[in-house]
Amino acid sequence: MNVLILDGGPRDARGAACRKIAAATAGEGRAKGHAVTAFELDALVIKPCQGCFACWLKHPGTCALRDDQEQVLRAMAVGDLWVWITPVTFGGYSPALKRSLDRSIPNILPFFTTRQGESHHPLRYAKRRGLIVLGTLPAADPESERIFHDLVRRNALNLDSVLTGSRVVHDGEEEGIAGRMKGLLQAAEEAI
Amino acid sequence: MKALLIVGSPKGKASTSYNLGRGLLGRLEAGGIEAVETTVGAALKSSEERHRLYKAVDEADIIVVSFPLYVDQLPAPLIQTLELLADRKRGAQGATPWAGPLAQRLVAIVQCGFPETSQTRPAVDIMRQFARETGFQWAGALAFGMGGAVGGRSLEKAGGMLRNVVRALDTAAASLLSGGLVPVEAEALAAKPLMARRLYHLAANWGFRSQLRKHGARKRTFDRPYS
Repeated sequence: MNVLILDGGPRDARGAACRKIAAATAGEGRAKGHAVTAFELDALVIKPCQGCFACWLKHPGTCALRDDQEQVLRAMAVGDLWVWITPVTFGGYSPALKRSLDRSIPNILPFFTTRQGESHHPLRYAKRRGLIVLGTLPAADPESERIFHDLVRRNALNLDSVLTGSRVVHDGEEEGIAGRMKGLLQAAEEAI
Repeated sequence: MKALLIVGSPKGKASTSYNLGRGLLGRLEAGGIEAVETTVGAALKSSEERHRLYKAVDEADIIVVSFPLYVDQLPAPLIQTLELLADRKRGAQGATPWAGPLAQRLVAIVQCGFPETSQTRPAVDIMRQFARETGFQWAGALAFGMGGAVGGRSLEKAGGMLRNVVRALDTAAASLLSGGLVPVEAEALAAKPLMARRLYHLAANWGFRSQLRKHGARKRTFDRPYS
């Protein structure tokens, strides 16, 4: 299984928990014999999407902007399991993770299709794929966490994911993440 | 009284988000409110521009944030802007102290290319959560679908198809002008589809094919450069 880890934590101290989780996830993945590719997104040069749709309509599949996002797009295309890690930001994702996700639309097709009764775009690289999103918060915040889990479910529907997992890790709980990842990776192996 | 429009689209004033946000702002202006507008792109350009945004936010009684749905939620530069505003309001170290009035109403306008406005739910929830975490008064949201059919066209001159868009903006503006929130009637009007979903799919897919042909890319539509 190709495991792609996108760490969306900031490079400063606020991203420490995300880095710990990313390292634990990569370690578990490799220990299970999977090919793991990991990106610390805030350390890459990824410009914001311009909303030009050239990746759909002018040069299908490639972005008009040339920067580090191209290597992320390549890894997304072949990834069987995507693991996104982010500080929970008003219930959503960090700017670093979101910048990369906004720039992922070259990997989908422009046309509308219906999926589970809703309009969505078909995938350019359709395959059985799983999505796990791990969020970090200093302390429990039920409303923020509800929004986060709902957002992950919506993303999974958009990406036609066959396995979806979302967890919020509070300060001090990072050490136990390796054990939790073992279970999530096992579930992914069975589903994909 | 002052109102500030923050446009969260990377296309700035050439966007559907600007068109809709300007539509609400214009109605507030007509009701006697002084209106100011800015874009997230401009605000993130430099430290001077950021401080200009802070000042505009401080002076506003009503803040309207209008943006497109990107991957189920806010575009990244808008999240970054909200983080800056939140850091400042929370008094984070190194952030310029907050000087805004105590009761500032925050309104969101979100538009998506999908026909179903239910797809904007996480984006609206995130804006509400931002208000909750930072102390703005959440005044509600107008969520529009089929954004591609609105585009940059004049809302007033477009006629029948956009009549509910116009009525939603009218209803929301009237309530905001009288000190209220975005009423549920305005939310319901915004959520009404501009046309049948099947027809929208057909029109949009035809439009995509036509654009691909125009750019000489029709045969490369399904290319997989990273296979």
